[in-house]
Amino acid sequence: MAAPAQNFIQLAKALPEPLQRFFARWPPAAILPTGNTAPTPTRYQEERPNPFQRYKNPETGAWQDPVYSSRRQAELHKMAREHGVEHLLPESNKAAETRLAHRVVHGLRVKGTGVGQKVKGHIHERHMISKMEKKRTAMLEMPQLIKSFKKTSKYKWTKWPK
Amino acid sequence: MAKAKKSRIILARLVSMAQTGYFYTFKRPRAAKPLGLMKYDPIVRKKVLFLETKNRSK
Repeated sequence: MAAPAQNFIQLAKALPEPLQRFFARWPPAAILPTGNTAPTPTRYQEERPNPFQRYKNPETGAWQDPVYSSRRQAELHKMAREHGVEHLLPESNKAAETRLAHRVVHGLRVKGTGVGQKVKGHIHERHMISKMEKKRTAMLEMPQLIKSFKKTSKYKWTKWPK
Repeated sequence: MAKAKKSRIILARLVSMAQTGYFYTFKRPRAAKPLGLMKYDPIVRKKVLFLETKNRSK
């Protein structure tokens, strides 16, 4: 039991301060000893079991905001991800797993960017690629056309546009 | 009633051969040969060949 505990302590010391503070106030059950030696919940845990979720006061029925705002949750999750301890944080919308699952379901939420989606667009937008291609090929053939026009002269030229 | 007399000078439309749709309009005698000039096309930003098109207006 002593060796893993030492490892956890060393790991905890390597974490950035906001994460250390968070784990001190809300120690994850996964790394706490169980049985008779289980420590009592901290004061923070007693007040708010999950600091990432809003809380309804059972007496007044009033809602309280999460202890950590969305921005701070995202910061914590980012830090934890960089240090490989994200699984120890409580569930949050900012967790990598949740975000990936959302991306799979909803895509980028920009119309036309998802797989198999397309937008109709204006008529000039629909014709833009073919027009650009037409201009490009015309410009590639331009030197040859100029050469032949100058050689033939306008008096004998027959290929006038319609 | 007699038909209106055809004017001696006509307006010639010269379209860009770069297929941009850009055109210049010049006056030329009806009897002269069609026009073909090197002119600037601002859409491709180059001097390209412009050739006269058939006048389709009445």
